[in-house]
Amino acid sequence: MNQTLRQKIFIFFLVTPALIILLGVVVYPFVYNVIISLSNMNLRHIKDWEIVGFRNYVKVFTEPSQPDFYVIFIKTVIWTIVNLFFHVVIGVFLALVLNQKEIRGKGIFRTILVLPWAVPQLIVALTWRGMFNYEYGSINQILGKVGLPAVEWLRSPTEAFVAAIITNVWLGFPFMMVIALGALQSIPHDLYEAADIDGASWYHKLRTITLPLIKPVMVPAITLGTIWTFNNLNIIWLVSNAGEPSDSTHILVSFVYKAAFNFYRYGYGAALSMIIFFILLIFSVVFMRKTKVTEAVY
Amino acid sequence: MNKSRTKKLIRVTFSYIILIIFCIISIYPVSQVLTVSLRPADRLLSTSLEIIPDNATIANYINLFVKTDFLRWMWNSLLITASVTLTGVILAATAGYGFSRYKFVGKKAAMQSMLVTQMFPATMLLLPMYIMLVNLGLINSYLGIMIMYSATALPFCVWQMKGFYDTIPSSLEEAGRIDGCSQFQTFYLIVLPLAAPALVITALFSFMSSWTEYVVAAQILQDTAMWTLPIGLKSFESNMSTEWGLYGAASMLVTVPVVVLFLVLSKYLVSGLTLGSVKG
Amino acid sequence: MNTRLKKYWYDTRQVKTFRNHHLHAAWFQILFSLLVLSLLIVSGCSRKNDGRIRITIWHQDRPDVRDVLQKQLDRFMVLHPEVKVEQLFKETEELRSGFIIAAIAGQGPEIVYGPSDQVGPFQVMNIILPLDSLFDKKFTDQLDPKALTYYKGHLYKISDKLGNHLTLVYNKKFIKNPPKTDKELIDVATSLTKDTNGDGKIDQYGIAWNYTEPFFFIPFMTGFGGWIMDENYQPTLNTVGTVNGLKFVRDLRDKYKVIPNEADYNIADALFKDGHAAMIINGDWSWAGYQKAGLDIGVAPLPLITSTGLWCGTMVSPKGFSINSNITEEKKKWVIKLIEYLMSEENQLEATKTLYTMPTNKNVINSKFVQSNEILRNSQIQIEHGNPMPVVPELRAIWDAMRPSYQAVLAGSKSPEQAVTDMQMQAVQRIKEMNE
Repeated sequence: MNQTLRQKIFIFFLVTPALIILLGVVVYPFVYNVIISLSNMNLRHIKDWEIVGFRNYVKVFTEPSQPDFYVIFIKTVIWTIVNLFFHVVIGVFLALVLNQKEIRGKGIFRTILVLPWAVPQLIVALTWRGMFNYEYGSINQILGKVGLPAVEWLRSPTEAFVAAIITNVWLGFPFMMVIALGALQSIPHDLYEAADIDGASWYHKLRTITLPLIKPVMVPAITLGTIWTFNNLNIIWLVSNAGEPSDSTHILVSFVYKAAFNFYRYGYGAALSMIIFFILLIFSVVFMRKTKVTEAVY
Repeated sequence: MNKSRTKKLIRVTFSYIILIIFCIISIYPVSQVLTVSLRPADRLLSTSLEIIPDNATIANYINLFVKTDFLRWMWNSLLITASVTLTGVILAATAGYGFSRYKFVGKKAAMQSMLVTQMFPATMLLLPMYIMLVNLGLINSYLGIMIMYSATALPFCVWQMKGFYDTIPSSLEEAGRIDGCSQFQTFYLIVLPLAAPALVITALFSFMSSWTEYVVAAQILQDTAMWTLPIGLKSFESNMSTEWGLYGAASMLVTVPVVVLFLVLSKYLVSGLTLGSVKG
Repeated sequence: MNTRLKKYWYDTRQVKTFRNHHLHAAWFQILFSLLVLSLLIVSGCSRKNDGRIRITIWHQDRPDVRDVLQKQLDRFMVLHPEVKVEQLFKETEELRSGFIIAAIAGQGPEIVYGPSDQVGPFQVMNIILPLDSLFDKKFTDQLDPKALTYYKGHLYKISDKLGNHLTLVYNKKFIKNPPKTDKELIDVATSLTKDTNGDGKIDQYGIAWNYTEPFFFIPFMTGFGGWIMDENYQPTLNTVGTVNGLKFVRDLRDKYKVIPNEADYNIADALFKDGHAAMIINGDWSWAGYQKAGLDIGVAPLPLITSTGLWCGTMVSPKGFSINSNITEEKKKWVIKLIEYLMSEENQLEATKTLYTMPTNKNVINSKFVQSNEILRNSQIQIEHGNPMPVVPELRAIWDAMRPSYQAVLAGSKSPEQAVTDMQMQAVQRIKEMNE
């Protein structure tokens, strides 16, 4: 009795400070947005807005927009999946390479590899844009030296999208690498030694020891990485110069940005944000359930 | 025996090749930023590919200290970032432990709701956040900004810590309890040191998220004396006439504390008192 | 595997080793006290109040403009020690959205400074004050009428600079006499587009500019007789003028091949600074930078289009002061005093001399300095060729509608005729969405 009460108090002190800060900061803005999404707050009704029901939600799905909402949605999904895939694969791969005990100069390699994460994003993103230039960019010059034809990176929609993805993969892999490095430390060496005695292949060890044991650490990072990438407007905006060519390189959040800041349609922007929110909520609930990450491993 | 030796040699050689390739990929764009910072007359791009440009000059670095408030921004940013990092690490270390080790009512809901805060496009949160901070009297104060930053960094940090604690067998704590440790003692004497890699990740993440944050800071801080580094950097960038030289120089210098922090912390990230290094 | 692990961890000797690491507990305590300490420091250094009246100006101007403004503010504060004026730079979008957010919450700077297109939305949202009754006629009469921005019959902005306009900037190393007509432009540009090192690739272009951005297309649109909206603020994009303007820009690249295959603002800027482009279309904000880069530049009006007999005119916007509607009565009188001070003849002349910006005070416009300076004279001619930038919020919708179709024409995926129809349709739809 006394024991369980003490345990309860202990849990309370562990968990509540973080929750208080989070809820304190989040509840008001969230409720505010729910209300605004049901209102007609816009340029003409910025202070005297009133509730108009689900009109904004209907508009998101039915209003003819240029570019089309559904096309953008699919692009956003592609953007997110491709980015995350390379972030995680490159990150984990480099962490595995760095974690071998025979490698010397690990400190130097690690520090250099973490640079893309450390440098201010705006200037490197614009530098990348310069590197993608058709005539003067270093990427086409390197392609030329190798004997490959130059690519019109920024003039055609697909290539511009690819260029933005390359930039964002570059910016994102160090973060996953750092997390994977940390996660690898939680694996006891003797598990590998035992596996070696059994004569297991490296692939077998990867599948049965490494991946399952870094999963509890990687899954939260992947979930949040997905959410961040889905809503990460900056990089694609900078690399494609705000959607060039012809607004073909947008993702869903840039609709929110445009609605709120270019056209002052706050009600519409809030409704679209709510929809993005629900998409991500469904994703994370399903993903978490599939990976069983809220449950303990041992 | 000989065969496994050659295999190992091949593996190590390939590893070095891969690492060197990725290092080049990592460094090259950064070296371009260095070039921008050394170039006279504010050019972001150039038609030449040299890393050290013609007429290279360190004037931009000097001007950064002489003509701008760079040191002040650096100090402000360090103050905010240090506080946010400490708050983030401490709150996440404790909350993550609670979530990892105990079952209680509303646990799943609480964990999910933490993610919720990340799912909403930040653009739309600016207005209500501002109204809220005005009502709390926290506009133009560091306290306001620190609360906002901690709240943004916490969800990842808590989940990260929780995930790492999950990999530490609870049998260790049971052993500790038998030895007579209290609940808190088992936590900070046994579990916390083992979670050092996760603490490092949490610290790095909190640090980076407030070190680079711009939008919220620009909305809250209305006083040039209170500017943080990202706002200061942004002030070099005006509509179609950006001082790229200063921007590049500042970007290089802003990177330094991050790299230093990483160098200091990465020791704990990959070695020391961790599960992997313990011999059974 | 699980049982293996458990067995492994049951080794209590391990636990004992960990318990000896009290060091970590000490760290924890040090960190915690550091946190408390820093919170104390931070809460202690909130805004210091020295009893002076504080006025804040938000603007989006470049650094050399900020320096001049700071000098003038410092002088103002010496004259009026009871006032503290602070200027705060905000990036264009940030300024607009930040001001709206702050003003809705009843806050914000006392003064917003900027070009005309922010007046419309601010007025519609009722977050800036009408200025008609605040400044007396004697003061406004000294100014060029272009400096007074009216919207819906009231004065909302008073400007100290005219401009934000594009001109033809040329490198005197390559060009002695700048082209005056479209024909001359093509001739000069063709003769200067060449492969200087003989590797089969062009490495010097006649002209370069940020040609994917609609704002930089306006001169060609007006040159061929088009304009973006009528007097009822309805878009007028589907005209022959727009079509011919589009064809002209496309031909410069694809037919005459005198502009680079790909150019945004930074690329064009780099080409011009590196001497790989003989001419650039750029605004008054860029001249000082080119001089600083060591180029001997000339500034000329954009050419005349011979087929229409019209000059390529750009959007001209005065830049000036608007007042936040949340301002207190007490501050209002200081704000008026400050604006009148910053607009004074001496201060405008000082700005003009250092920045080559076009003043608004009639005496300064007619001063010997302005009239004898080659750059300023040509800048003035370009301003006369131009149209004022519309004040209305609908301008945003028009830019947004123009951009994709304009870029599609350049990419070759849309005909100019199709493009202007699409632009018009998009603009109409967006304006409707905005105003519902």
